[in-house]
Amino acid sequence: MGEVIIAELDSPERVVQAARSVRALGYARVEAFTPFPIPELEDVLGVRRTRLPRLAFVAGLGGASLALLVQWWTNAVDYPLDVGGRPTSSLPTDVLIVFESAVLFAAITAFAAVLVGSRLPRLHDPLFDLPGFERTSLDRFWLLIRDAYDDDAGILDEAQALLDAELARLGAVVTRARLTEAGA
Amino acid sequence: MSAAAAVPPRPEADGELPVLEHAGTYAELTDELLDKVLRPPRWMRPALLLTFLGSLVLFAAIAYTVTTGIGVWGNNIPVAWAFGITNFVWWIGIGHAGTFISAFLLLLEQRWRTSINRFAEAMTLFAVVQAGLFPLLHMGRPWFFYWLVPYPNTMKVWPQFRSALTWDVAAVTTYLTVSLLFWYLGLVPDLAVMRDRARERWRRRAYAIFALGWRGSARDWHRWRIGYGLLGGIATPLVVSVHSVVSSDFAIANLAGWHSLIFPPYFVAGAIYSGFAMVLTLMIPARRLYRVEHVITTRHLDSMAKMLLVTGWIVVYSYAVEAWSAWYSGERYEMYMTLVMRPFGPYAFVYWVVIACNCLTPQIFWWRRARRSAAALWVASLLVQVGMWAERFMLIVTSQAHDFLPSSWGLYRPTVIDGALLFGTMAFFLFLFLLFLRFVPFIPIAELKELKHRVATEREERVHG
Repeated sequence: MGEVIIAELDSPERVVQAARSVRALGYARVEAFTPFPIPELEDVLGVRRTRLPRLAFVAGLGGASLALLVQWWTNAVDYPLDVGGRPTSSLPTDVLIVFESAVLFAAITAFAAVLVGSRLPRLHDPLFDLPGFERTSLDRFWLLIRDAYDDDAGILDEAQALLDAELARLGAVVTRARLTEAGA
Repeated sequence: MSAAAAVPPRPEADGELPVLEHAGTYAELTDELLDKVLRPPRWMRPALLLTFLGSLVLFAAIAYTVTTGIGVWGNNIPVAWAFGITNFVWWIGIGHAGTFISAFLLLLEQRWRTSINRFAEAMTLFAVVQAGLFPLLHMGRPWFFYWLVPYPNTMKVWPQFRSALTWDVAAVTTYLTVSLLFWYLGLVPDLAVMRDRARERWRRRAYAIFALGWRGSARDWHRWRIGYGLLGGIATPLVVSVHSVVSSDFAIANLAGWHSLIFPPYFVAGAIYSGFAMVLTLMIPARRLYRVEHVITTRHLDSMAKMLLVTGWIVVYSYAVEAWSAWYSGERYEMYMTLVMRPFGPYAFVYWVVIACNCLTPQIFWWRRARRSAAALWVASLLVQVGMWAERFMLIVTSQAHDFLPSSWGLYRPTVIDGALLFGTMAFFLFLFLLFLRFVPFIPIAELKELKHRVATEREERVHG
């Protein structure tokens, strides 16, 4: 366990091609590390669409309801104040804070969801120990194949040779490494 | 210095000037941008010192105001709101452009926003910080600011939510929070590349902490992209709401010249107008001093100038509607305020400064040469800011100075402390902005590399396709 294959490529087009081939050979636990977002990679690697927008929507609704409840209860129930005979519970004057709270709650939730979903913040990750990983934030594109040596992954023996040939064709620098722990 | 200078500007697919003139590799682009931060220019230290000394003026004026009392300001009955609120409205208006550029233009897929969005967002944050100072100080006893927040207390009272002042608190704090989150989320991948490229150990450590352990896997990027776009999407209506709420402080009052339905859109247009001007004021010297003309290109100047022209015309239209509806109302106080007091009264000078700076200045941008001239844009941006400050002063002060009863009329005159606060916030704003330039990659690196990739792909498709 923990043994992985790393293929380093030098362009966004090649990493997409390599990912496509690797997936076609039957490897399932494949990760890519890139200096900037490459939306095509997400489809190739089968990244499931995040539920973040739905979460933010629910949080926004929650914020809006809370704001409405607080304004109604404080100004109409607990501390009603007669200002020129105007209604104590008035939706038109409440709606601005309702809107602001909806945005505030949705934004904080969206921000938190990005971090939590990516397991951030973290002080260390076993990947950071791999030599050359620091270049993935600069101009290198990594494919990390986690199930290359899994016996129960159901990958054909021929796949290994085909994989090497394909990665070599794309000019990838291939290394084998052992991760100290399963960095998710 | 860079290979980019040799490349002649080739037009984009839409026939416009290119948004990026860089011929090097991703690594070269990254290192070039990181270098601006890792090896700061020589003027940085004296500039930081100078603006810090200026900020001391602000701190001293705040200390004097708080320890002595709000009477050290020039405002009094009948002009209860003057410099303090003018500065608040002006600064918060400036703060609008950042989110407008980042969020609104992100949704419209305007690619020229990429190189300047972080710059504009930082400007937003620091401008909102300056703005927030004024209502706090204006309270007189700023240590009781939390009375505006609904919390169960022994006095058994609650804030009155039918007052626009409570809306202000919600709008401004939300705006500050959301702008900060949006800015920081965009920054995380670039802090990661800082972490990976810095040479000194302490520097790597420091950037590592702020990069939060970013790895840049395809899944991370996916979530980041969706989250960032979503924040942009919800920040866009927020931009429009903040200055609308601020304008309600005036519009729901019954004073002549304030009680008008045009106020929310009028204020929002003015806010974006002054904000774009501030972005230009800061961007033009910075792109020159840091030599990033190939990243912040003439195309950016051109687009920003067009935005100034458009928002300038919305402002002109608002002035016209304001005057017309005052006349059409047939109400003598409204007519007097808008058609007599403002243009010909004791503050007439301010009025004509507003007309000259806000209405006439942007008209030079009908000419392409003016739009593409950094010097013309810079001077115009300064004039627009003067004009927008004067507009807020005119709106706020004149209505209070001459209200319904001539026996209660009175004029406002600023004190030295009023002036020190305005000057001090400018210095403090510049100080914070220089700190940002000094420590943070101020041009979004990951987004720019993505743009470079996309521009290259499109060019290839046009050549082969």
